[in-house]
Amino acid sequence: MDARGGAGAAIIAARPVVVAALAARFRDLDLAEDGFADASELALRQFAHHPLPANMAGWLHVAARRRIIDRLRRDARLVRIVEQSGLEPEADAEEPDAVSDFDPRIPDERLRLIFICCHPAIAPDARAALTLRVVCGVPTERIAAAFLMAVPAMYQRLTRAKAKIREAQVPFETPPQHLWGERLAAVLTTLEIGYALAYQDAGSSEPTADLGLEVLRLAAMLAELVPGDPEVLGLAALVQLAESRRAARIDRDGCMVPLSEQDAARWDAALIASAATLMEQAAALGCSGPYQVMAALHLTHARRRNGQRTDWQAIVRLYDVLLMMRPGAVVAINRALALAQVEGPRAGFDALEALQGPALDRYRPWHAARAYLQAAMGDMAAARASYRAALALNPPRAERLYLEAAFRETSA
Amino acid sequence: MQYMLMIHEDESIYAGPDGEAILADTLAKHMALAEAWVAAGVPFSGERLKPSATATTIRWNHGSHQLHDGAYAESHEELGGFYIITVDDLDQALEWAKRIPVPGKGSVEVRPIWPMGAEG
Repeated sequence: MDARGGAGAAIIAARPVVVAALAARFRDLDLAEDGFADASELALRQFAHHPLPANMAGWLHVAARRRIIDRLRRDARLVRIVEQSGLEPEADAEEPDAVSDFDPRIPDERLRLIFICCHPAIAPDARAALTLRVVCGVPTERIAAAFLMAVPAMYQRLTRAKAKIREAQVPFETPPQHLWGERLAAVLTTLEIGYALAYQDAGSSEPTADLGLEVLRLAAMLAELVPGDPEVLGLAALVQLAESRRAARIDRDGCMVPLSEQDAARWDAALIASAATLMEQAAALGCSGPYQVMAALHLTHARRRNGQRTDWQAIVRLYDVLLMMRPGAVVAINRALALAQVEGPRAGFDALEALQGPALDRYRPWHAARAYLQAAMGDMAAARASYRAALALNPPRAERLYLEAAFRETSA
Repeated sequence: MQYMLMIHEDESIYAGPDGEAILADTLAKHMALAEAWVAAGVPFSGERLKPSATATTIRWNHGSHQLHDGAYAESHEELGGFYIITVDDLDQALEWAKRIPVPGKGSVEVRPIWPMGAEG
């Protein structure tokens, strides 16, 4: 393997632990990020032609800490941070480039960092962007692309969020136990935004595909750090199940393949098995919630990987539960489509028609679901009109190709 | 760190049929909160404001000004009072702010106070 590529991968893997430890110590996100960036550069240079250290995280941590302290000494404006954090000037004034030893015991502050980035005092979208940036190290350009925002606007959003943390003095402590309910809920909604961004487009181009892996890692990290919360485990399972189908979500032409028509052999069996284990752990904790129900829905579909038929009745029941927990158009539309599999297209269509809401007319999944069921009932004229309505609402490319193909079939 | 806790509440609730009882209950809760601050050793100050109809607003526009009768913005939630507390961080300020009684609908805005003499 190319040493530089190897160093790069090791640096990315070490990032959450190192940045979290630096942020906890220096109580400043920018300092932690900049220090890590400096140390990464140093590592890339140093290990381009030398074997990697046994403990890259430990190496980066020492190098970054020295760089930051060096900066603090040079920058009088930052004296305030030194005073507030009660830092002692470090005895080792040697050149940061001469890092040869390292401390293998870096304190694990990842959860603390996640809690800071996901503080409920920060707007949910900004939280998600900040977490992807600071915890995962996703470049601002890619986050902007995933949020469909211009890079300067995203940069400004991140800067504002960091300023809020600094100026309003969001604490750099792990919140006390009695606040965990509210704080963990804020973390979960943050992850859910990341999840929705990553999987909104079946034919996702690079930025969102990468984002899927980041969200997968982040959810797994949270499950590792908070194994006692069933919804944390449920969300981790949900993300794994969504990711397990990535390869099967589009065909060779880049056209979206709906879940029920996907080739189950292309689903990732290891991810499905891991998700099933997480859900067993969650179930053992004995407290259900929307993320577990959503994961159970995906897992019911995933059983097709083992050659089992899809249990649509179970799926309808799960949607009923989810509707009670989280009423909303998406859930109701998906429930109607599942109902159509059990009781026929007419029952599904009637369920769709019973939905009410002023915005439904501008909602693409509603038109797409109507079109599908109208075609299944044999009403091709109505189906064509509905497909046209769905296509008029700017679907992403993969979905557009699917809708166009379905539209052509209604004319055949 | 000092935080200002600004209490925006619906004044009309005190003018309704149960207004007097609601006011008495709210004031009692404010007294209890003040006692809790004393017991916790949290330095605090605060004032209750007269109704927004008593407000006069000076509106500036590039050097010239005009006087207006009433609060700076028409809304259903008026600034009814405020506290200034000294605590360690935002989480502590938010915990205290959640204990401020707000009958009916309203909101409490929590803002860090710019320390005197601090650089921009």
